[in-house]
Amino acid sequence: MIKSVPTEFGITAPRKLGAVTGRSSRSGPFLWILPAGMCVILIFGYSIIDLVQQSFKYRGDWVGFENFSLVLTDPLFRIAIFHNFLLLFTVPILASLSFLCAVLLFETRKGMKFYRSAVFLPYILPIPVIGVVFGQLLQLNGALNSALRAMGFENLALDWLGDPGQALWTMSAIIIWKEVGFGTILILARLISLPLETIEAARIDGAGFFRLHLKVTLPQLKPVILFYIINEAIVMVSWVFNYVYVMTNGQGGPGNATVVSELYIYRSAFQNKSPELAATAALLLLLATLIFIIGFFKIQRNTNRGVFNE
Amino acid sequence: MKIRDKAFVVGCAAAVLLTSLGFTGASASVSPKKAITTKPVTLTMWWWGDQEAPGAKLWVDDTVMAYQKKHPNVTIKTVLQTTDGLVPAFAAAAAAKKGPDLQYFWGGIYAQQPGWDGQIAPVSDYIPASELKHYINATTELSFKGKIWTAPWYVNPSFPVLARTDVLSKYNLTVPTTWKDLLNVCDVLSAQGVPALAGGVKDGWFGGWLYSIIGGQSVSSSKDVVAAVVGKQKFTDAKHADWWTRLQETKEHKCWNSDINSLELYQAQQLWKDGKAAMTVVAGPDAPNFANAVGASKVVVMAMPKWGKGPFAGKMGSTSQTIGITQWSKNKEVAADFLMFSHEKAQLNNWFKRTGSMPADDRFNLNSVKDPVKKALFQSALPGGPYLENFIPAQLDTDAVFTNVQLVLNGTKTGKAAAADMQTLMERLRKTDRKLVSNFTAWSK
Repeated sequence: MIKSVPTEFGITAPRKLGAVTGRSSRSGPFLWILPAGMCVILIFGYSIIDLVQQSFKYRGDWVGFENFSLVLTDPLFRIAIFHNFLLLFTVPILASLSFLCAVLLFETRKGMKFYRSAVFLPYILPIPVIGVVFGQLLQLNGALNSALRAMGFENLALDWLGDPGQALWTMSAIIIWKEVGFGTILILARLISLPLETIEAARIDGAGFFRLHLKVTLPQLKPVILFYIINEAIVMVSWVFNYVYVMTNGQGGPGNATVVSELYIYRSAFQNKSPELAATAALLLLLATLIFIIGFFKIQRNTNRGVFNE
Repeated sequence: MKIRDKAFVVGCAAAVLLTSLGFTGASASVSPKKAITTKPVTLTMWWWGDQEAPGAKLWVDDTVMAYQKKHPNVTIKTVLQTTDGLVPAFAAAAAAKKGPDLQYFWGGIYAQQPGWDGQIAPVSDYIPASELKHYINATTELSFKGKIWTAPWYVNPSFPVLARTDVLSKYNLTVPTTWKDLLNVCDVLSAQGVPALAGGVKDGWFGGWLYSIIGGQSVSSSKDVVAAVVGKQKFTDAKHADWWTRLQETKEHKCWNSDINSLELYQAQQLWKDGKAAMTVVAGPDAPNFANAVGASKVVVMAMPKWGKGPFAGKMGSTSQTIGITQWSKNKEVAADFLMFSHEKAQLNNWFKRTGSMPADDRFNLNSVKDPVKKALFQSALPGGPYLENFIPAQLDTDAVFTNVQLVLNGTKTGKAAAADMQTLMERLRKTDRKLVSNFTAWSK
């Protein structure tokens, strides 16, 4: 009999590939992933080695840790990292909103397909399109502020992307708007696959909407929500470049209000023509991202263990 | 003997003569012009310019077609770049040593830096000095240690202020010529809810223009700016810093449209076209188009109102946009031949016909220009002052000028703090770019 273990999504999978194929060799799985593994090693391995080499050189000459010193003492790099850190605060908001939207869609009887598409639509829109649309919409005299003024909310008509005090938070809101669709669909997919018996049993026992989903549904969604949280944390640390680039014309402005670490790397490499500083900053960012990835695997392992033990 | 061959002989003679007379703008070791290969050649040109000189694309198409007709073995592919993508796209190509044979560069540092980084070959190695001496601004902006990096293409009178007399007269105002007048116009118009000046700094570029046209009024020459770059002067010295205070004054007197920080430059200029602002600043090559769009009789083309006491106060700057030959190009001679072809009389006249702007060649007959706006612009560009933005490191421009202009115009930073920030960044750049001081020093000689 083939034994099963829960995956991070709670879906059961064969414990051993060998059990299915009939092979008992321990090297079997490694052989299967060898071609893909080689590609990954070749592409990423080479890049990382080159990155490390570049970060210790200047125009081909070895300079030791000088580049690290220059990057770490650069106020702009610190600002960029701080902005990435601030963007991390959007992750719990994203997770909560995604959970809420998924539950509401799950509970919706009529028009679920329409609402599901509506929630997911922003996620499939290209970021440049979003940048252009929101860039126009959020101008000081743009459509949003015109509407607010027309409704008598003059005080709420802010310079959303032009005021250094607002710009990063505006960008966060746009990122949330776009990314929440992914979380919603992810959580909803898991929600639909949950055994209905437990939900029905809770309802029969008199659990209301909030108790049902907080006490019964949420614990069962923990692995997928954690996956989403870690994924979005990685997005906030190393994947927000597109948003910033298209909405600020590659400037990270106003001032340096929306500069993030990726933009710093891009500008160092391609605008300021300092590939060595860009490599150094990229290496530091890679290390920061690795911390999240390691954290993700650790949490995932613990979660799986907990689910398995239950 | 063909006319071009004759021109070559005359050119060589002129080059020898000029060299002996001490002409040092171009290389002394002039490469004689050779007949180009008859083997099939494909050149790729990445360019920019239709944005500031509308009609440039038509000229590029015409010129390429004419050259290909003359040299059927040559095929030229052209790729129009975006404003934000021009520099990064070339940087990526240079890193891969693969990309265009001919590349568009803005003048000054934007052409010098690729030369210093070994990404382009000096055009003076392929174009005779006798030819290059006609290219406007070649020696002032583009020469380095006796070589000339790139070939000027067209002149950018930088940057004219366009004033609408119809808007000003509506409020009993006249065109301001001094800074005091300008602030007065700002006070009167802002009280009526009309911006005196239309601008957009979201994309940053306008910040560099403002630096050049306001900051240029207090320096004696481009050497002053280079001295601040290499550390012999400071960007906090009055001659380099006072313009920030002037900029702050424009904010305090509500000169600009309130949404200046959320608009891109070209979006903001539309306010002027729509009659919602009295003045704006435009790219020189595009100024006649702007003037004609609202009626040339209602428009005064002028330099930024005068506040400084430097020799360039009240004058426009002048820079040439250029084309360079990449170091990795396998057909440098053909590329150079195409550049020279683009400076032949027919092409110079066609440039003016297509764009209404001035080709960067002193052989262009200014008498053929009848439009008074264009004529005034061209005449002002010839003895124009240095365009400051082209004499500072590009990173200082983007990271200190662009950003601080946004903050000063937003009211979150003072002019004094902006100047201090510029100086701090300059000091840092001297550490991060280890060759900066030596390169700039050599350039300024």
